[in-house]
Parts: sequence; C-alpha cells; structure tokens
Amino acid sequence: MTRNRWFISFFVLWNLVAPGHCVHAAVSQVLHLGNGTEPKDLDPQTVTGVPETKIIQSLFEGLVDKDPKSLEPRPGVAESWKVSKDGKVYTFKLRRNAKWSNGDPVTAADFIFSWKRLLDPKTASEYAYQGYYFRGGKNFNTGKTDGSQLGIKSTDPYTLEVTLENPTPYFLSLLYHHSLYPVHQQTVEKYQMRWTRPEHIVSNGAFLLKKWQMNKVIIVERNPTYWDAVNVKLDSVHFHAIEKAETEEKLFQVKKLHATATVPTEKIASWTQNASGVLKRHPYLGTYYYWINVNRPPLNKPQVRKALALAIDREKLVKFVVKGGQAPAESFTPPGTGGFQPQAKLPRDLSRLNEAQALLAQAGFPKGKGFPTIEILYNTSEGHKKIAEAIQQMWSEHLGVKASLYNQEWKVFLDTQHSKNYMISRAGWIADYNDPHTFLELLTTGNGNNHSSWSNLNYDGVLEQVQKEISSKKRLELFQKAEDILLEELPVIPLYIYTRLYLLSPQVQGWYDNVEDIHPLKWVWIQ
Amino acid sequence: MSELSTAVPSSQGVSLWDDAWARLKKNRLALLAATFLILEVLIFFLAPLIAPHSYEVQDLERTMTGPSWRHWFGTDTLGRDLFARVLYGGRVSLTVGILASMVSAIVGVIYGSISGFLGGRWDNLMMRVVDVLYALPFIFLVIILMVYFGRNFMLLFVALGLTQWLTMARIVRGQVLSLRHKEFIEAATVLGIQRKWIIFRHLIPNTLGPVIVYLTLTVPAVILEEAFLSYLGLGIQAPLASWGTLIKEGVDVMDLAPWMLFFPALFLSATLFSLNFLGDGLRDALDPKGAKD
Repeated sequence: MTRNRWFISFFVLWNLVAPGHCVHAAVSQVLHLGNGTEPKDLDPQTVTGVPETKIIQSLFEGLVDKDPKSLEPRPGVAESWKVSKDGKVYTFKLRRNAKWSNGDPVTAADFIFSWKRLLDPKTASEYAYQGYYFRGGKNFNTGKTDGSQLGIKSTDPYTLEVTLENPTPYFLSLLYHHSLYPVHQQTVEKYQMRWTRPEHIVSNGAFLLKKWQMNKVIIVERNPTYWDAVNVKLDSVHFHAIEKAETEEKLFQVKKLHATATVPTEKIASWTQNASGVLKRHPYLGTYYYWINVNRPPLNKPQVRKALALAIDREKLVKFVVKGGQAPAESFTPPGTGGFQPQAKLPRDLSRLNEAQALLAQAGFPKGKGFPTIEILYNTSEGHKKIAEAIQQMWSEHLGVKASLYNQEWKVFLDTQHSKNYMISRAGWIADYNDPHTFLELLTTGNGNNHSSWSNLNYDGVLEQVQKEISSKKRLELFQKAEDILLEELPVIPLYIYTRLYLLSPQVQGWYDNVEDIHPLKWVWIQ
Repeated sequence: MSELSTAVPSSQGVSLWDDAWARLKKNRLALLAATFLILEVLIFFLAPLIAPHSYEVQDLERTMTGPSWRHWFGTDTLGRDLFARVLYGGRVSLTVGILASMVSAIVGVIYGSISGFLGGRWDNLMMRVVDVLYALPFIFLVIILMVYFGRNFMLLFVALGLTQWLTMARIVRGQVLSLRHKEFIEAATVLGIQRKWIIFRHLIPNTLGPVIVYLTLTVPAVILEEAFLSYLGLGIQAPLASWGTLIKEGVDVMDLAPWMLFFPALFLSATLFSLNFLGDGLRDALDPKGAKD
C-alpha cells in the first residue's frame, strides 16, 4: 500500500518535472468497473458466470459481434456469412487481418479447434450444450462418436462451413456467447490449466490481459494487434473484484469506479431520488431462483417442492426485500424473452398457501412435523443473505419447515453447485441469447448447468421438438408445454425476474441499456 | 537497606482470595463494572422473557423503522425487532467471548507455567512449538477446522480459543521464569512439595494478575474475530446474530438507519469498557505484591 503510494507520487512528480513530456488526452481513457467477484477463470470454454463473461468479452472476439444498441449480430472475426435455404448451413468468410495477440492470424482452424475443445468430453465444459447445435455435437460430447463427425469444416483457412442439427433462428447471436469464442491452440496445449495467466495468454479481442491480482483487480489494455484497433477508444479497463455492494457504492461516490456491478438494496430508494441520473434501471432477461437438489430427501418428493414454492410471498419479497422494482417470478422464463409470454403458474402472493400446506401434509409432514432442517446455500453477499433469511422465515411461518443458511465464496460456491453437494442453492440465470430456449434447456437431462439432478424424459422430448420446429407460433406453444411440466415438478423455485440496477458515471459514453446487459467495451469511451 | 514493613503480619494468615476480595471491594469502578456485567448476563439469559418480540420474526412492511414504543431500538432491514436482536446477539457474543477466552486461559496458563517451570531444554522445545503455531495464519486454522468438522457453534469456541492461547502461554511463561527462583519456591522445593503442586498452588496464583488483564483483552478480540468469521459464513448462521454481525449490518446502512449501528455498538463498547475496568480492578486486587495498604 505505502509502496504503491510512493510509486504514484514519484510518477506524478516525474510528469511535472520531466521536460517535454507531452500530455496526451484531457481525460484518461481508463475505465474502472465493479465486477462483483473474483472470476473463477478466464477460459472461454469452461467458465459459466457473469463476472467471468464480462472480462472474457473484452479479451476475445467470436465470429460475430453485437451491435451495442440493438444487439443485432454484426461482423466480428467473420467479415460476412451466407445461410443456406433450409437454414442449416452457414458459410463464414473470415477477415484476413484478424490476428492473435502474438501475431498469428485467426483462421478457421482456430474455431474448429475451439469448438471441438468445447464439446470434447475431456474438457468437461458445463456449457458444452452450446455446441449441440452443430451436427453431431451431442454425440461427440456424450462420447458416442469422435470429433471427426462434427458438422464443422473449412475449405480454406478463411472459410468456415458450419452445418447445424436443426435450423436455429438465433444461431448468429449464439456465436457471441463466450463458449464459442476461439482460443489459441498452441497456447492452450502448451500451458494447459495455466494458459489464461497474464504471462501466457494469447487472445484476439479488443483488449489484452495485462495483470491479474487475485481478489483485487484484473487489468486489460488495448490490443494493438486487434484488427479494428483504431476504433478502440479505451486505453485500459480495470475489473475490480468487489463482493460488497456497499464498498462498490462508496468507491463510486469517490469516483474510483465508473460503473458498479450492483447497488445495495437499502440504497436503491435514495439513489432513485438522486437527480444526477447515475442509477441505471432497466429490464434484464434473467431469473433469480433456487435450485433444488432432487436427490436429497425429502426434496425428492414433488409435493414437498411444490409446497415450498407456493409458500413464498414473492410480491412481498420483491417489494420489501429486493426493492429494485423487480417482478415476482410467476414462471421460469422471464416474460418477453424472444416474444414468449409464459402463463403465470406460480402465485405472486400466498393465495395458494392452503394448497401448499395440504401438499406438505400429503407428503407426510403435516405442519412440517418430522421435516428435517433443509439448508439454503448462497454465494457471499448481503443481498442474497437477506433474501434467504426472508424465505427461511416464510417457510418456517407458513409451513413449519426449518431451514438453515450458509454461504460460500464464489469459486467454492460454483464447485459446490456443480458437484451437487447442497440441498437448496441460490442461483440466477441470465439469457445467453434472446430466446426462451436459453432458460428452458437448462433443465434438460445431462445439461452441464443443470445442478438439480432433475431429469424428465417428457420435458427433454418437448425441448427436442422445439429445436426442430420452424413455425414460431408452434415453438411458443412448445415452450409453454415445457414451462407447464417444469412448474409442476419444480426442480427450481423461481423467485423474481431480474431488473438490472447499477450505478454508471455520466462520463461513460457508448454504453447503452439493453435487456441482455451487454456493453461491448470496444465501443465505450470516457468523456 | 530497605526498612521493615510497619504492618505487623497477622499470625492468622489471610488467604489470597479473601485479601483480593477485600481490596476489590474498595475499587468502586471495578464493582460498578462487575455489577453491570452481571446484570447484562442476567438480562441476556432471560432474553426470551424480557424481549417483547422474537429476534427472528420479520415484519417486511416495517423495515428500518426508528426507535419507537413498539420497537424500542427500531427494526432492521427485514423488519425484525432490534432490541430482541441485540439481546440475543449479546448472548452469542458474550458466550463466544467468555468461553473462548476460558479455553485460551486454561490451555495457555498450564502450558506456559509448565514450560517456564521446567526451563532448559523442555522450555526451548515447548516455546518453539508455540512459535510454529504462531506462524500458522489463524484464519486458515479455523477454516480447516470448520470445513473438517462442519459448521458447529461449539467448535467456534474451541477454534477461537485455540488461536488465542499462544500469547497467554508466553506471558505466563515469562512470569513463571522470573518467579521460579524466588525464595518461596525454593522453600517449597526444600519442603519436598510435589512439582505439580508447586505449579498449581504457588506459581499460577502469582501469575494471575497479567493473566486476568490479558483475558480482558482476549474477550473483545474474540468477539471481533467471531464477527469476521460470521461474515465469511463460518460463524453464527442467520437468523441468529451476534453483536459483530449486527454492527456489520449496521455499518452498511448507517446513513439510513443509524440506530442499527448505534445500539449494538453501544452495548459492545459498554461491555468492553466494563471488562477492562473489572480486569484492572482484579489485577490490583489479585497481585500479592501490589498491596499498597
């Protein structure tokens, strides 16, 4: 700390004294972002969390990029593309000036390597299902065939032909997802687990990883080899790992952060009244829910799960605990995702409490008698804790069910979820693309992100049908069918639909509100 | 040459404890502190009878309301009665603080006095063990214990106590080193008193002064460490609270609901002050050398 300060003051002095030292820009183009927590890793094919995604999107670039305003796909590494009439074959022309940060050209072979890596059972990627769209992807991932059967090929280094299993209307926007970003083969093979360290990493995005200080900050700097480097305005971006919303808020107030990851719930009201307009609030395609580990008795009984789901007063929860103007979740998919308006199946309030109590009695626990204490796991944060405490109280009051709470730090939390070593766990799912499928596919059997162990062949069947269906009206009907099964079985308890709330400095330009909360840093600058 | 004491030693020896009690009674501040602590302990353990509300029942429509007739200390961010929470929190904090300090005192005093009394090679060996344990970061030790044995309230006492006894052992060892060549110990040795009785009857009572002072410093340290562990999710689990967690919650909203910080902090500081005054008084009272009158 002290040494740092010395260094800075020395630097300032040097700037004042050094003759002929020119001052570049009036405003320093260094963006400081609150990123919530320390990322688990920065490997595009293996990470699953939002904090990781935000950093990876600045380090790597996929075939397509997204328009910062409309989120329409626009050329990224691919300069143009053609789609066959049946919507199943995509031919991408890659730009010749796309380079890796070590100078190598980005070629079709890089994408083939990366996509095979995603699907390779040895990678054990939780997001492997993002590659199931490719013909033969699922078979390869489940070990039925080897990688040679995949519907991906290149006719020359700059042409990539992708054959899909089904015509997928949102395929292009899917390519913006980090799991389908290219990675540099030699680097990955040479350094294995350590390839994402700043000293090893080779990337192709608008920024380069310069420094990774555990639990503190990740610094990325403008990438001079990036094909569109002239349009990148920021010199560097600091992603600060700050778990406490209150700390973030204070740093924002003293102008050490340009944007926070979130806002402390108790402060939302006062920021709303704040006339400066720094509080950003917009709809966000995401659901806050609880995973239920259906292998753990008594949670293996659907009646118990339903009773728990019906005994939560969601309206009270969002109004008095979450407080950000979020909507109570009456379905798992947020209404409006890809034009889908799911029917409300869960009550907003306690109107079906009698049913819940009857169900619990049916399952053999009248008034909660004999019900073992269930554990609610959440990742360390005041906000999650408060929600868990409120739900703990509702269950105890309305059902006589006792719950205990415990929290874990983000990386440990993700591992616990993945190894299914919990009973009930806090979760939030944010759309990877604007289609209900991104939510509903989570619960299919064998999905790497399905942490509930729930498996329902009917449900799987409906989602498979969705994939083959072209008529958008029929697709929506099928989505509703899936929702119906899901909310009858409840391996998840949806709590509320996210509203994106954060503080953003008015100095930040080129940053637009959108439902997926994507802000490509390539287009951002500081005024 | 020093002059002889003017007081004629009474032939009917006064025990160490009688003597201490007589001296403590004269120290008003210490007595006041002791009364306060006893009252506090009583109130906390009768909390279920005293508190008009439960510490866990939430009234989501009345979150963060100020002190009123209904809620004497106001309510917290989930509409729970702060008065009840402060009482129950005091229960947790004091229990953790006192029990963990006791663990540290018992282990530290015995270890330190044995080490100091034996001296020589044994002393060297035993103190190096303490050095090694010092080098272990406390938090790792606690986390390993917690992960290995599960989240358990009792374990918290042990874990916290186990990390606090090291300094205690050193203090006691230093005292014993300076005492063990004193005449009364030599006399005891000559009389053929067993070693363990020399340690327990003659050495330990003479080290009590510094031990008690250090104990009064350990209690607050443990209370604060407990708050830290609870933040990491290893300590007290919600909805139960300790003063540490209440203060932490209060700090987050101190500009909106200052009472959430004020009341737990008030109780914590009053308790720590009392402990210090009482510790001071006890040291004066128990120190056989410090007899001023």
